[in-house]
Amino acid sequence: MRKVALVGAGVSKFGVRKASYRDLIWEAGKACFDATPAVKPKDVEGLVVGSVLPERTAFQSHISSMAAEALGIRPSVLSARTEHMCASGTVGIRYAYAFIAAGLADLVMVLGVEKLNQPTGDEAILNMGTGVDREWEAAFGLTAPPCFALAAQRHIAAYGTTEEQLAMVGVKNHTHAAKNPTAHFQKGATLDQVLCSRMISTPLRLFMCSPITDGAAAVLVASEDRARDLTDRPVWIRGTGQALDGFQLTSLHEDYAHWPALERAGRAAYRMAGVTAGDVDVAEVHDCFAIAELIAYEELGFCRKGEAGPFVAHGRSDYGGDVVVNPRGGLIGCGHPLGATGVAQAAEVFAQLRGEAGARQVLDAAVGLTHNNSGMGEHVVMIYGREDR
Amino acid sequence: MPYFRATDPFPLESADHTKLHEFYARLAAGRLATTRCAGCRRLAWPPRAFCGECGSDRFDWTDLSGEGTIHAFTVQEAGLPAGFDGPRVFAIVKIDGLRVFSILVGAEPSKVAIGQPVRVSPLRVADDPDGNARWLPAFCPA
Ligand SMILES: [Zn+2]
Repeated sequence: MRKVALVGAGVSKFGVRKASYRDLIWEAGKACFDATPAVKPKDVEGLVVGSVLPERTAFQSHISSMAAEALGIRPSVLSARTEHMCASGTVGIRYAYAFIAAGLADLVMVLGVEKLNQPTGDEAILNMGTGVDREWEAAFGLTAPPCFALAAQRHIAAYGTTEEQLAMVGVKNHTHAAKNPTAHFQKGATLDQVLCSRMISTPLRLFMCSPITDGAAAVLVASEDRARDLTDRPVWIRGTGQALDGFQLTSLHEDYAHWPALERAGRAAYRMAGVTAGDVDVAEVHDCFAIAELIAYEELGFCRKGEAGPFVAHGRSDYGGDVVVNPRGGLIGCGHPLGATGVAQAAEVFAQLRGEAGARQVLDAAVGLTHNNSGMGEHVVMIYGREDR
Repeated sequence: MPYFRATDPFPLESADHTKLHEFYARLAAGRLATTRCAGCRRLAWPPRAFCGECGSDRFDWTDLSGEGTIHAFTVQEAGLPAGFDGPRVFAIVKIDGLRVFSILVGAEPSKVAIGQPVRVSPLRVADDPDGNARWLPAFCPA
């Protein structure tokens, strides 16, 4: 297989946006092309768009062609949309990676976009129910928060994890987001604010949850030869893994504090990259809820099973610790525009490994990881390197 | 307003719309049932019309006991979809060796506990566009 690298990235402002679905595509595309002056839209051979709900939120399908036209891209080798709920963006990056590694393409844009907020807030939440099983779960009113709340309940019962430790994930990620001009939230948060915020689904409070956010992000993915032509600092895709435990809640591991598919996806990615958890300098993990970040530390091997609470409490996942987790602010701080999230995670690692992350820069970051999930049972992990091996 | 499938949150339960209509017919009579594969005899939850283990699409309907215990639960207080009131108790119920996802109705949320006995309590929801009653397999304290 050929080597593959990221050569450009751009992110729109995330938030409750006074913007259309197409506006968000324009913003992320412009940000990415502006940051990559060597690439013009007509140079891009392929486009993969990660997007979950445009049929419901913009009454629009046929997404990849619509986005290509909006950006002036004329795909000659690849045009596709990826829909894999919350991990759609990273799944799109994997498709671009596979096409390029196989020699079928040399330069592909992956764009993630979601316009979740609607004129009435009720509709946005109703739409989120499409991500769980309609007949056996969503018909009862299930959306994501109770699923992850069940995992939090189990982690508390099995390992003595505390509400304060869950809250510290919220504090850390809101604090990081305050240094990210594209984040949904910019004000930071104190432990008291998180612990006193409204209860959403026991034991998860508002500031332990990602909000409903509009946004888009784009990355340019290139073959080795093209990457070296376009930039002197490509960020290499070193490894990738994806694994599935199940779709319905009752298909998953009986103990919701265990996410075996994440462990498998991480192991596959580490093996392919030739690195271990201890080599990772910066990680963008899928903190849709605080408990998800804690379980990710464990399943990705940053700490042992059950020790994620003390790990965050002792600052080991923050600047100066073992690994800086979610320097851009994570999903809790940046928001979670479903299809855009995985691409925005890649954009952050791209900036970090090039030393371009400004106030958020992780000192001498050489190996970066992204983790994107679709519920508790489906996980995608990418490993990026400043060096190609 | 004409009926739109895209804004109806409930399954279409009649024989015109699903191979699993027998599940809903039995539920309307107060019985919780599921499928047993006619090929390999595996009991499934939820019911299914194709067996991924043996490849058979033949199945028999089997009534479950209707009584189980709470394996895990959470109380959602805010952020529920329109039309679904909170606080809402979401639970995993263990019943006849199966894990069933559902909601607990008729319970004081602060009194719900792991291990608590519960029984099936069919919940009537909005009629389908042809005026047929629709039911979901909810549970209540036993
Ligand atoms: Zn079978």
